[in-house]
Amino acid sequence: MFELLGHGLLTVLQWNYLVPLFAGTLIGVIGGALPGVTITMTIIVILPFTYGLDPLQGLAAMTGVYVGGSAGGLVIACLLGIPGTPSAIATTFDGFPMARGGAPGRAIWLGAWSSFFGGLLGGLFLILVTGPLAAIALEFGPWEYFSLFVLAMAMVAGLAESSFIKGLLSTAIGLLITVIGTDPIGSVPRFTFGSEFISGGFPFLPVLIGIFAFAQIMSDIEKLGVPKTPEAVLAAQPSLKVSHVKVIGEILGRPFLLLWSTIVGILIGVLPAIGGSAANMLAYDQAKKFSRHPERFGTGIPEGIIASESSNNANVGGSLVTIMAFGIPGDAVTAVMLGAMTIHGIQSGPLFVSQQPALAYGIYAAYILAHLLMVLILAVGALFMLQITRVRLAVLAPVVLVLCVIGAYALNNTMQSVYVLLIFGVFGYALVKGGFPLAPLILGLILGDQIEINLIRAIMTDDNPLLFFTRPISGGLLLCAALSVALAVWQHMRHQARTAPDEAPDF
Amino acid sequence: MRLGRDSFAGLIFLAVSLALLVQSFGLPQLPLVPVGPGFYPRIVLIFMAVTSATLIVQDLLARRAEPADVPAPAQPQRAYGLVALAFVIVALYLVLLPLLGYRIATVLFVAALQAILEKPTTWRQWAVLAAIAIGTSAVTYLVFERYLSVLLPRGSWTNW
Repeated sequence: MFELLGHGLLTVLQWNYLVPLFAGTLIGVIGGALPGVTITMTIIVILPFTYGLDPLQGLAAMTGVYVGGSAGGLVIACLLGIPGTPSAIATTFDGFPMARGGAPGRAIWLGAWSSFFGGLLGGLFLILVTGPLAAIALEFGPWEYFSLFVLAMAMVAGLAESSFIKGLLSTAIGLLITVIGTDPIGSVPRFTFGSEFISGGFPFLPVLIGIFAFAQIMSDIEKLGVPKTPEAVLAAQPSLKVSHVKVIGEILGRPFLLLWSTIVGILIGVLPAIGGSAANMLAYDQAKKFSRHPERFGTGIPEGIIASESSNNANVGGSLVTIMAFGIPGDAVTAVMLGAMTIHGIQSGPLFVSQQPALAYGIYAAYILAHLLMVLILAVGALFMLQITRVRLAVLAPVVLVLCVIGAYALNNTMQSVYVLLIFGVFGYALVKGGFPLAPLILGLILGDQIEINLIRAIMTDDNPLLFFTRPISGGLLLCAALSVALAVWQHMRHQARTAPDEAPDF
Repeated sequence: MRLGRDSFAGLIFLAVSLALLVQSFGLPQLPLVPVGPGFYPRIVLIFMAVTSATLIVQDLLARRAEPADVPAPAQPQRAYGLVALAFVIVALYLVLLPLLGYRIATVLFVAALQAILEKPTTWRQWAVLAAIAIGTSAVTYLVFERYLSVLLPRGSWTNW
């Protein structure tokens, strides 16, 4: 295994892989630092570039974006007190007070090195666990797959922040989109109303780009009329000089905190379609609960930064496990990566690691190297990133939309995909305005075909529907799904009793 | 009683799911496969209909529980007009793309969207706007067509 990893590292260290990886990491850091630009958006922007690259180059660039993005948000979170990405929300709680208290360098580098260690621990987990998990997944029959997908959807719908029932409805919409077009077994056209345009169904990537990119950009444009809250600006040129040995000592001197936050991050990452925005909040919450002085959280203590930043990078490793072992994306970012793999004709799933070892270990290597590059980029450019946040939406929005259009068009060189992009752009924006969470929809969209194929396959193999419940793994997964729904309903009722729902859309 | 946002959305999705559910029974049966192509869509559509209906009921109950004359919480001002305009500009871009070709249409699109999002006032700002529009088009074109060999739309009017 380590021989393969060494080989992967040597491969990625070659210029033709190192350059895309570096570019990806840099763009990820920048995208993560830009408030209002999420990692999902950054990876969507980078997608069309990967069409022209070879698979590993493309995946290395995307891995770089993913790792860099998780770290990029922290600089802005510490210096300006606004999270650059949702995955840096909890970093602002202690990072900003610490920076304002006169130690901006310590805040940023606590975050950067925590990201580094959390990410590497996540990488270790990724390398050790993906193979064995894939081996388990190979034993799965159609019943188990079907039940696994149902569990994934139940969990994601349950985690929707606004409303559980909207989460479920959102899932249903995603599933329905995949039903339109020809059926996967007998190629019978379904719900096409005789239209040539939708006879082939809706291509996955344009739908995803449309829904995410437009929902995000249009929500940003909406706020253009809002007078801005006065920006919390630090001294013009804050000094970020700090003793790295001391900062690393501070982090490694709290091994339990680091490990626990990392584990939280990994677990959230492994669960489908949740992502970094949940990981950092949960890890911060956990750190506070386990702390001997919870009242000091939020005043600028290192624990808060360590918890948030180590978890959000570990989360990336966890998400990569799910995509590589099961072929289920851990979040919207890995969904785009999955789409990019499909374009290059690579089937993700339990056979991926054994059939494409060069690619799999190349991704591992890229993941590890991206962390080194990320630290390097922050060391050189942390102050420069304050300038980046001044890029105005008026410039950013058209450029991002152009890249989205290229991403859709270049899929198969037809305008049809571009029209799909706009249709779902409008639809996605409407859904966000209606308070519908997008993550369950995307998961439904990704899993739809597979759910149907496995369901029909199971029925064709044996027409006893009870097998879904009586086969131990399948039954166990369905039980977990039922429990997850019950838990979500219970939590929702308790939550509703206490507070009004928060309507901030989550990308 | 006035319908809430959720009831409205729920009604739309309920209507869509019921209409498609009726349609699904018209799908042909396949030999060899015990369940036809309509089997799985029906499960999805029934699921959708049930969740939509629940959403409507939930919304109606929540509205009944609340006194009707509670003033809505002050919403921050939103630039919805700008959003609508932005969507129109994107739509125009997509119409013009296959006619004018990528290079020209992109310059127009980037310039137009920038101008409505932040109207330039001085000639200098107009120059920056134009430079960004032309730059975006030129750089993406060169990178994608020349370096990555990703083809971009040609214009049927301009042949360029």
